[in-house]
Amino acid sequence: MTLPARLLESIASAAVREGLADAVYTRLDTPIGKLLIVQGERGVVRVGFAEEPVDALLAQVAGLLGPRIVASDRELAATRDAVSAYFEGVDERIDLPVDLSLVRSDFRRSALTLLRDEVGPGHVVTYSALAAKVGHPKAARAIGSACATNPVPIIVPCHRVLPGSGGVGSYGGGPDVKRLLLAHEGALVA
Amino acid sequence: MKAVALPPFWSLVEAHGDELLVHARRMTGDSNGEDVLQEALLRALRAYPRLRHAEHLRAWLYRVTTTTALDHLRARRREVLTDEPPVPASEPEHYDDAFESLIGELPDGTQAALRLRFVEDLDYDGIAARLGCSAVAARQRVSTAIRTLRTQGIPA
Repeated sequence: MTLPARLLESIASAAVREGLADAVYTRLDTPIGKLLIVQGERGVVRVGFAEEPVDALLAQVAGLLGPRIVASDRELAATRDAVSAYFEGVDERIDLPVDLSLVRSDFRRSALTLLRDEVGPGHVVTYSALAAKVGHPKAARAIGSACATNPVPIIVPCHRVLPGSGGVGSYGGGPDVKRLLLAHEGALVA
Repeated sequence: MKAVALPPFWSLVEAHGDELLVHARRMTGDSNGEDVLQEALLRALRAYPRLRHAEHLRAWLYRVTTTTALDHLRARRREVLTDEPPVPASEPEHYDDAFESLIGELPDGTQAALRLRFVEDLDYDGIAARLGCSAVAARQRVSTAIRTLRTQGIPA
């Protein structure tokens, strides 16, 4: 693509200003690779890791919020700053509104909401302990599914959920990224 | 209306933005190309969710850009020639009508070449095949017509 960045930003900003954008996305360089961040009217709806195909992620959001999706670093400056502040260790809470509409069930949504509200940076929780917090102590496996399908990783911190048997378990961005995020937050992992 | 799976709008901008800018510049003169493209893409965004199918999106964007460029040229002629207030820009659903009314005073052969180029989105070989002339002649016919619309004003 060879359109000048200034022109693309101008078009995207005008679209947002006129209420013509269903969602806006940006790509952000981080220590764990280039993240895709997609934001709708109600908040961040999707975060994608570097290896996830952008087209597929955007198509997923288009199916939910509508196809009028534009790219703008400028319109998402506050969001970029908040995620960058996390990686720079300035503020690890990432206090951004999230939209969990891509989550398929109420159970998963309440598990992810609880996780975000109650397990802060530097802390970890096991799948079964989180299941107990949600009120379904036997649903550790379902908690695993909720984390595996978390549409907004990092912001909703599913990397802080670990298997009771030790180790870091699986992660959408790969176990190495999970380990790196936990080490960054100062959480000790066996 | 049945919902169709339209691609995320920005993927169209990334795929076709540069050629649309070239087109907008050719139609309007270099200095206005970017403004015209921005307006065209905003018009396209307004109409996008109402499209009934996800085919020929590139040709559709060309058409929107062409109409926006012609509206721009028409508005500029008005500013220069008359005090007539500008008419509201044509709505996206009426692109074809607006296009037809703008080229209506041109010779038939020229109209045909413009339609093949901007409505059917054919390349010059394709236009030549339809009109039974050479590709060079087809290109010439289209560029002469654009020049006519640009320099002699557009029939209201």
